[in-house]
Formats: sequence, structure tokens, C-alpha cells
Amino acid sequence: MPEPVGFFTDTTVCIGCKACQVACHQWNDLPAWTDEPPRPGGKVSLPVLSGDSYDNTRSLSAVNWRHVKFIEQFSADANRSQAAWLMMSDVCKHCHDAPCLEVCPTGAILRTEFDTVYINPPACNGCRDCISACPFGVIHTSSKGIAQKCTFCYDRLKQGLTPACAQACPTQSIKFGPLAQLHKDAQARVAQLRQQGEPKASLYGADDQVLGGLNAFYLLVDKPETYGLPSRPKLPSRSVPLSSFWAVFTALLTALGFLFAFRRRAQPEPLTPNPSPQGGEGGVPQAGRAEP
Amino acid sequence: MNLFVADPDWGWWIILYFYLGGIAAGAYFTATLIDLLGSDEDRELARIGYWIAFPLVCLCGLFLTVDLGRPERFWHMLFKSEVVKAAVAEGWPWSGAGWAQMSHAFLFKYWSPMSVGAWALTLFGLCSFVSFLASLWPGGRLERLFRHGWLGRGLQVVGSLVGFFIAAYTGALLTATNQPLWSDSTWVAALFLASAASTGIALMILIAEWRRVSPAALQRLERADLWALGLELLVFAAFLASLGGDLLAVLESWHGRLFVVGVLVLGLLVPLAVHLRLGVSLRARGAVVAAAFALAGGFLLRYALLTTPPELLAEGPARVARFSPEDGRARGEGTGADPNNRGGEVEPRSKVFDKE
Repeated sequence: MPEPVGFFTDTTVCIGCKACQVACHQWNDLPAWTDEPPRPGGKVSLPVLSGDSYDNTRSLSAVNWRHVKFIEQFSADANRSQAAWLMMSDVCKHCHDAPCLEVCPTGAILRTEFDTVYINPPACNGCRDCISACPFGVIHTSSKGIAQKCTFCYDRLKQGLTPACAQACPTQSIKFGPLAQLHKDAQARVAQLRQQGEPKASLYGADDQVLGGLNAFYLLVDKPETYGLPSRPKLPSRSVPLSSFWAVFTALLTALGFLFAFRRRAQPEPLTPNPSPQGGEGGVPQAGRAEP
Repeated sequence: MNLFVADPDWGWWIILYFYLGGIAAGAYFTATLIDLLGSDEDRELARIGYWIAFPLVCLCGLFLTVDLGRPERFWHMLFKSEVVKAAVAEGWPWSGAGWAQMSHAFLFKYWSPMSVGAWALTLFGLCSFVSFLASLWPGGRLERLFRHGWLGRGLQVVGSLVGFFIAAYTGALLTATNQPLWSDSTWVAALFLASAASTGIALMILIAEWRRVSPAALQRLERADLWALGLELLVFAAFLASLGGDLLAVLESWHGRLFVVGVLVLGLLVPLAVHLRLGVSLRARGAVVAAAFALAGGFLLRYALLTTPPELLAEGPARVARFSPEDGRARGEGTGADPNNRGGEVEPRSKVFDKE
């Protein structure tokens, strides 16, 4: 069994070149723009300039399994005299407690021997439960009707190769390696940055606070929401027990109400004869007694 | 409230499934409870419930299949497709090895509402089919077999439990996600169950009126309706309360307002008022009006609840104009950070974070 692998993405050295996106497209043979059929509401990523950002990819999609986010920040004055860009190469986080894997009713979403999360295309039937479960908006459906996302280059891992994005990254913003080693590297990098005067440097998803830990974790220099990452993503099943409790509670109250609504008539004759052929049974049926 | 998610595009098929499935489940568990708890006079009412449940659940199965990205793979919900293919390759159903392989093909994830729901829907289809057959010919052999005696009782007990489950699980399905609104309350399942009861009874009332069922029986059905509506009102209040500060963000969207105000007024307060003003003992057109409103409200509940999160995520062109350079950070969230980014608007979003 190979040891768990991951991506450590140091956003401070990302230069927004999008080489990772290109490498991902090339290796995985993804179309340049979109293969999504037009859907109601015009939810198609069109091959146009975004018009409000230097980022024209705009979001992860069925054909963009990597996406370099440009977080363009400007100062509050009228001339926007100060500007800063945060850049972050976004990808499937390959969560330890993966919400998509948890809800998938077809078993199409698997955890591989490399501890990554993989969608098995022939098994997926396109129910889209994983899309609603993913707290990062990673998964989308392709024109073939199935869920698509980063495979962590499973085919490359099988051959002992580095995933295409990490291989292409010119600044080593995306580092690939054994997860344990990446954690050590990341801690050292945070310490270095803080020493150099970047007190906000912190890791996202390196510990088990975010869905038990993310195999693709990040070094950020602002709060996670600035990067479009939820601080406290939740595991879908967490709410099932309490939801079930309230539902059972409501079901019991409903049945109780119906008991009163429909029982009233039976008052004059408390023991309603059972009209079954066996006959003679009381109002309360018991399978054992009803046996001929 | 997590707004960094993608929209699963659960549209009309799913809305109709939730609505009709709720009616089917509500009518079915009402019918089974009448058979179990009620008097003989009400059996005609129960029969109406059975008539409703099976045809609707057939439609539901159809809608769910059509909604899939790959409809021909609907059975992947129940069986592991890889194992089934391996079993067929082993010679199933003509070889022992094939059967041995096939015995591992069942797919059931008790922690995933959709997986459990797929099996429950199969079971519900089976129960409602048998009950449907049994209710077609009053006094017939099938009715004696499946509505009386121990087999009938067993079917009614199992059927009512499965009916309640079908009514509620669709809500749990929405809660077991990371979508805004759906996953922010643990009351959606209970709300759907209460709505299933009120809409199921509403359709039964309409058919009972049309079939000229005995006034006394109808009166008891209306009493049950009043109870179901009252309960739904309480559960809806609990749902809104459980949203806390997120309710404000929901009310900022058009569908969110439709959801809260529409369901409350159209689906709950109006039918309750009609019931109470006329008095439940009156057999009048009032019951029909109340039932029609309850049915409309039940539809609105599913429609608006399913369409609110996409609206919370979406950033329409109109909102781009609201871009203000004062809020640099928020601006940043609107451009690169948002997975459903259409550029622009971010103010409500930062408000939401401040609340957390």
C-alpha cells in the first residue's frame, strides 16, 4: 500500500501563470472551453473574457479541474491607489472525510490506494448528490452526464509520476509528495514567513479541523473566506441523526392526531369487530392471534 | 451558511418528485393509519389514499430517472455496477460463481439519505402497488388478503412506516449537503413530513368530495387535516427559528421571500383560517378551498426551497453595478474566490460571514 500523498499549495509564491491549468488540460485531454450542454438559467461557462477580472477561467468546472483564483484587492480610497493580488491554484481538496464520497449513492466515488478521492466514470449515474455535498464547489457534471473533478492524476500516480499540475508549476507553489513530509515542509514555511513579517500566514486543511484534514492543503495569508474557502465546512451526515429525530417526533405527533381524528367514531363500540374472514379479533390486531 | 458551493441543478424533475412523492407518502400513511386505527366506515377513505399513492410513486420513479445525467444507469443506486458486471461475466444467472459474486452487489449506505431513499422508494413502490391492487375491487379476494387479516395488518404497519420515511427522507437529503439554507437547519425532514401529511390529506379530501364519501367520514378526514396543518405550522416555525441569523440572508433573495411568506400565508394560514372559520364540523365548500390552498402551498414549499440556494449563489449582471470600491476585501471575494462567480456583488456575502 503506497503512503498517502497530497498537494501543499503555497499561495505566497503563486504567480498566476496558470501553467497548472494548462498541464491539467493537456494530460487529461480536457477541452479548452466548455463541453457543458446549455442548461436552464444559462449556466454555461462561455469562452469570453470575464470583464471584471484578469481571471477568465472564473471557476472550477467540468473541464477545469484546476483553477488559479485571482483575488484582486484594492484599497478603499477613490483612486484605488493600493492594489494587491492574492493567487491560489484551486483544486479538489481530496478531503480525509470527503462529503462527496460519503453521500455518493452509486459507490462511484472511491478512496484510492494513494489516499486520494477518485470518481469512477463508468459507475457514476449523474445524480449530482456529490455536487450539493461538496463544500468547495469542486464537482460539476460533464456533457456526458457524469460528475467530474480532479483525479489527482491517478493514472500518473500508478506509474510513479508526479501529477501534471505539480510537475508544471514553475515556482513550486504546488508541491506534491508524501502527506507527512508536506506537513513538515508547510510548518517550516509558515514559521519562515512569520519570521519575515507575514503574521497572517497560516495553513488551511493541514490539521484535522477541516473535514479531518485535506490532502490538498493550503498556505494562506488571509482568512479562508477571502480565498473562497469555508472556515468550517461540514460533513453531510452530521445532520442526519438530529433531522431523523425531529422527523420521527413529527411522525409520532401526526399519528397521534390521526388516532384521535379517526378513533372518535369507534367510541360507542370500543372493540370494533375485525371484518377479516378469521373474525372475532379485537380492535388491536396481533399477528400471532390472527393466525388461523 | 456556506456560499462557496456549486449548484447541483436539481430542477423541475426533483421539485415535482418531492411534491408528488410527498402527496403519495402522505396519502399512503394516512390510509394505512385509517386501516389500522380507524373504524370500518372510514375504509372508503383509506381506499382513496391507496388510489393516490401508487400512480404517483410510479411518476416519481420516472421523474427521478429522467433527472439523472445517465438515466440508463438508474439501477446503480441499488447495486454496485462493477460487481454486477463481474457477476454477469462469471455467468450469472446460470453459474454458481455468478450468484456468489452477485450476492455482494447490493449497495446500501445507511448514512447517505439518497442511498437509503433509493431502497425505501423501491419498497414503497411495492407496498403501494399491493395496496393499490387490494383497493381496486371492494370486497374482492385481493382486498380480503391484503387489507384484512395478519398479512394485511403487516402490510399496513410496514407501509405506514415506509410512507413516513419517504415523506421525511427527501428533507434529510437536502439537509445532508453543504448548500446554503438546506444544510442550515435540521428541521427540513420534519417539515417535509408534515407537508406530506397535509398535502396527502388535501388530495384525499378533494377526491372524497368528488366521490361523495359519507359526510361523517369526510368530517373525520377534515379533522385530521386541521391537525396536520396545525402541526405543519409549528414545524415551519421551528424551521425558521432554527435558521437564526441566516434567515435574513434568505429573505434577501426573491425565492427566499416566496418560500417564507408564500408557504406561511398560502399553504398554512389560509387553509387553517378556512378550516377554523367554517368550523371543522361543517361539510362545505370550505374544505375544498382549504385543500386546494394546502396543495398549492405544498408545491410552493418544494419549489421555493429548492430554488433558493441557487439564487443565493448566483450573481446576476444587475448586481455587478452594485460593485463598490470601498470594500476591497469583499471585492476580492466576488472575483476570484467564488466558485459560481459571475463577477460583482459581494456585500450580502460579507454580511453573512460577519454573522458567523
